[in-house]
Amino acid sequence: MAEPKVKYDRQLRIWGEQGQAALEKSSICLLNSGPTGSETLKNLVLGGIGSITVVDGSKVEEGDLGNNFMVDESSIGQSKAKCVCSFLQELNDAVKAKFIEEYPEELIETNPSFFSQFTLVVATQLVEDSMIKLDRICREANVILIFARSYGLAGFVRISFKEHTVIESKPEHFLDDLRLNNPWPELKSLAEGIELNVQDPVAHKHIPYVIILVKVADEWAKSHGGALPSTREEKREFKELIKARMRGQDEDNYKEAIEASFKVFSPQGISSDLQQIVNDSSAEVDSNSSDFWVLVAALKEFIANEGGGETPLEGSIPDMTSSTEQYVNLQNIYQKKAEADIVAIERRVRSILKKIGRDSNSIPRTTIKSFCKNSRKLKICRFRLIEDEFNSPNLPELQKYLTDEDFSTAVGIYILLRAVDRFAANYNSFPGQYESAMEEDIPRLKSTASGLLNDLGCNGATLAEDLINEMCRFGAAELHAVAALVGGIASQEIIKLITRQFVPMSGTFIFNGIDHKSQLLSL
Amino acid sequence: MDLQLSVVKGAKVLMVGAGGIGCELLKTLALSGFQDIHIIDMDTIEVSNLNRQFLFRQSHVGQSKSKVARDAVLKFRPHVSIKSYHANVKDPEFNVEFFKQFNVVLNGLDNLDARRHVNRLCLAANVPLVESGTTGFLGQVTVHVKGRTECYECQPKPAPKTYPVCTITSTPSKFVHCIVWAKDLLFAKLFGDKNQENDLNIRSSDGASSSENVVDVFERREGEDIDDYGRRIFDHVFGYNIELALSNEETWKNRNKPKPIYSKDVLSDELAQQNGNVVQDSATDDGLSVSAMSSLGMKNPQDIWSLSENSRIFFESLRLFFMKRGKEIGNLSFDKDDQLAVEFVTAAANIRAASFGIPLHSLFEAKGIAGNIVHAVATTNAIIAGLIVIEAIKVLKNDIKSYRMTYCLEHPTRKMLLMPVEPFEPNESCYVCSETPLLLEINTHRSKLKDFVERIVKAKLGMNLPIIMQGSNLLFEAGDDLDEDMIANYEANLEKVLAELPSPVTSGTMLTVEDLLQEFTCNINIKHREEFDEEKEPDGMLLSGWTQPVSASEKEKEDKSINNGANSSDVTVEAVEDETGVVAVGVKKRRISETSEVAANAAADETNHKQYQVIDDEDDLVVLDGNSDAGNKRKRMQ
Ligand SMILES: [Zn+2]
Repeated sequence: MAEPKVKYDRQLRIWGEQGQAALEKSSICLLNSGPTGSETLKNLVLGGIGSITVVDGSKVEEGDLGNNFMVDESSIGQSKAKCVCSFLQELNDAVKAKFIEEYPEELIETNPSFFSQFTLVVATQLVEDSMIKLDRICREANVILIFARSYGLAGFVRISFKEHTVIESKPEHFLDDLRLNNPWPELKSLAEGIELNVQDPVAHKHIPYVIILVKVADEWAKSHGGALPSTREEKREFKELIKARMRGQDEDNYKEAIEASFKVFSPQGISSDLQQIVNDSSAEVDSNSSDFWVLVAALKEFIANEGGGETPLEGSIPDMTSSTEQYVNLQNIYQKKAEADIVAIERRVRSILKKIGRDSNSIPRTTIKSFCKNSRKLKICRFRLIEDEFNSPNLPELQKYLTDEDFSTAVGIYILLRAVDRFAANYNSFPGQYESAMEEDIPRLKSTASGLLNDLGCNGATLAEDLINEMCRFGAAELHAVAALVGGIASQEIIKLITRQFVPMSGTFIFNGIDHKSQLLSL
Repeated sequence: MDLQLSVVKGAKVLMVGAGGIGCELLKTLALSGFQDIHIIDMDTIEVSNLNRQFLFRQSHVGQSKSKVARDAVLKFRPHVSIKSYHANVKDPEFNVEFFKQFNVVLNGLDNLDARRHVNRLCLAANVPLVESGTTGFLGQVTVHVKGRTECYECQPKPAPKTYPVCTITSTPSKFVHCIVWAKDLLFAKLFGDKNQENDLNIRSSDGASSSENVVDVFERREGEDIDDYGRRIFDHVFGYNIELALSNEETWKNRNKPKPIYSKDVLSDELAQQNGNVVQDSATDDGLSVSAMSSLGMKNPQDIWSLSENSRIFFESLRLFFMKRGKEIGNLSFDKDDQLAVEFVTAAANIRAASFGIPLHSLFEAKGIAGNIVHAVATTNAIIAGLIVIEAIKVLKNDIKSYRMTYCLEHPTRKMLLMPVEPFEPNESCYVCSETPLLLEINTHRSKLKDFVERIVKAKLGMNLPIIMQGSNLLFEAGDDLDEDMIANYEANLEKVLAELPSPVTSGTMLTVEDLLQEFTCNINIKHREEFDEEKEPDGMLLSGWTQPVSASEKEKEDKSINNGANSSDVTVEAVEDETGVVAVGVKKRRISETSEVAANAAADETNHKQYQVIDDEDDLVVLDGNSDAGNKRKRMQ
């Protein structure tokens, strides 16, 4: 048995072989190897990431032993990057691990092209000034960047990337694609061939609910000028119509039909989210367009033409009460339609590729297939430049957060994390870092925060005293429990980004360890 | 920053479980200033743990988890005191006295049974419990303090899925039915305890009617060649038994008939040769590394094998069990990490599926179904362990108003990835932490005391060492310190129907059931009922009184195929043990997202309504307003 497959068995079941292959191909750069950074990498190394490069210029000190598991007494005085790197290497020898003994801030200043070699850079415990510079560098080089920071009981995670497109967004619950509200001709004619009033009671209780609904909906439409039920009263009537056909309480297929009748009521055509995607200017493709946008362009054509306003059919049907024969027939008819739709999309993809001067076979059929199956669930994530957000945050949102009870602590932490960097630039230490200066640090941090709020255009806004005091008491400490959590969140997002599965979080993630609350702020 | 250091330093902590969460937790505790940590785990390390249980290396495979975890942490943090127990938390040494020495108990367990057991001990010892679980990207941390918050069992947990026996033995319609058959019937019959009851037909065509003394066809005969034996088993279960079933025409009136498969149909000359060519001995001959796939040169567990390939794996794995692991035969039970067992079960399930026209599956998929494999990844465990430690510190500081139950979500819901919820008050009708009696409807003239002990006391109430009393009369007692008279007396009672016990149990009787180890007592009012629905109440009894659990089998309407004709039986085969206990998260969490999803879908429907505010007629859609928190039905702790 191939050993890696056994080792990764439990996670392959989440993201599949393709996801795993993407992880194994990727190279990650870590800036600063304190607990937040080293815990982030640990989770990725265990999962079999391709390669890691640890960048840290500091030496291990006594204090590091208190919060960083990857160093011990024998590491004191040695390069932290080296110690962390060798610990990580021991976790998984399939991973290529190396380290660079240099301060990230210096690397950002002196060697910006260094970062372009990586799939993704994870920057931990950086202060504002370096964050902004690094963000510009990575955006330019089209490298995914993720910031993570633990500060006392507070945590911060933020993704920065121009555009991340997802085909396999894997929503937990999504309505199945049965087209009961808009059946295609073959489904209609299959339904027509089945008699609902069949005499045989066994046959009657094994007509699949899909057929029942298509037939009753058709009947309804005929007597309602082609329209399906839309008002509450009509929907009730529709259900009564089905109920009236039940012959006994044990007819599960009819119960299923009543339960599923909302599928008939849902509107035809594509969702507004998908509408937005096909309307995106990127769907006007040229030779620089990514595969994703070429596929969207084909989808757009399909919807406007042979799709008749609908996406390609997914093709699978859920379990339902049915005779085996009817279930198999139904399955076949859905599969056939799905396959025909794939063929239609594929034809369009090939011709678009040709039109924009690319090899018409440069997008493999498996990708097209997966795209068709997921076409209702496509996602696009775009992230603002940190600099833009910091200089001109979305003001109405910011003001709303500041006054909204649910968000005020999170946005308070967000502001204070920026304020402590300003504080440090002014006073050469973080607030509360020295116990003796606590008394004077509190008002200083308070006025720094007010100044920042003013600069952002929130004149007169204030933050809760408690929160400011708490922030000073943190004294910039990196607590292991918080670092483990922040590292867990950051590595989870990295996995989503690299596997291109699931939807990464948008906005800034703020964790507040005081009451376990976490919020995403879109600024 | 001096974070509550004194409470942490002085605390004595019990960790139960040294797996995915446990490894993270032990490390995080040690680095958060905890000085006195005890850790219990009965498991040994498996290769499939290594993608997340970072204290373990390849070289540790097979060793005790609790011990290796302890040593690994001590290597880096020698000044922490860690005591490890390679033992089952349900062992009697971990009694209430043992639990009383701790300030807080932290669970990182992987099964419901142990979770319930620890819950009861924590209640009895009055020690706060921080409970946790993960599956895939989902996770939860909850806190349970006696009298202040709900206990772990205040909310009923979903029961594991069950399938009617006839579906498994005669009329499978889904692949999972074939897996259950291959694992719980065929595998158990061939390699497990021969004395266990088994629903497989053991009569062969030649011995069926001739004598009273039925020979079990699954027994390998004296001196029988292993390949002959394999073919005989194959022909019996995939050929003869199917023919036998086909002879009952009533069953197949509304179903596709299965096709009998005999070894001669699948055994080509090439295969006969193959068997001869198999490498007889390899260097690595330790039990678990034996694999039919490798001896047949098949590499990819994600491939779907043909019928002929499945048959080859069937014969080869059976052969390897007898040739290489003969000593284990008779006491094997299916283990998802046992490669050869997974190969055998995959092949047998696929051959059966082929016979019934059900799509075949790869070993990878079959393993997932057979082992009820939980998705597990390092990231979630790291997040959860961090939350457990933060919660444990609050518990130690007695900071009751800050206690939170936290759910870790896969997709941000209402801008949250972590959803904190204030703990709920104890459920006043919880049979575990309140004294409310339960109600049992049962046919007192038909059900034996044994049925009551197995299906209610052990399966539903989760007791291990029960005592059953009617008033002051002892009806039954478990334990190894009983004298022979008592044992004989109890054995006799077990076989009696309730109404005929020495002190008869009839409608209106109240039984008291007690578990000495858990120091847990509960009262059950008996109500006689004549009939039970075989499909919906397969136990032939119905326990209620605290919130009725949502039975998975009922909810999912497992057996959708036509069910006339086949002789139903009142026994059910349990499909898969619930391993995570995280189902609870799943369910709770899902309640939120499902509603929002459904509501969102319907929102498009009802355009004149605001999103999240859709109420369909007849309440089949649920309202979810913008502010409602998880499980808004329950009362908040004040
Ligand atoms: Zn309770």
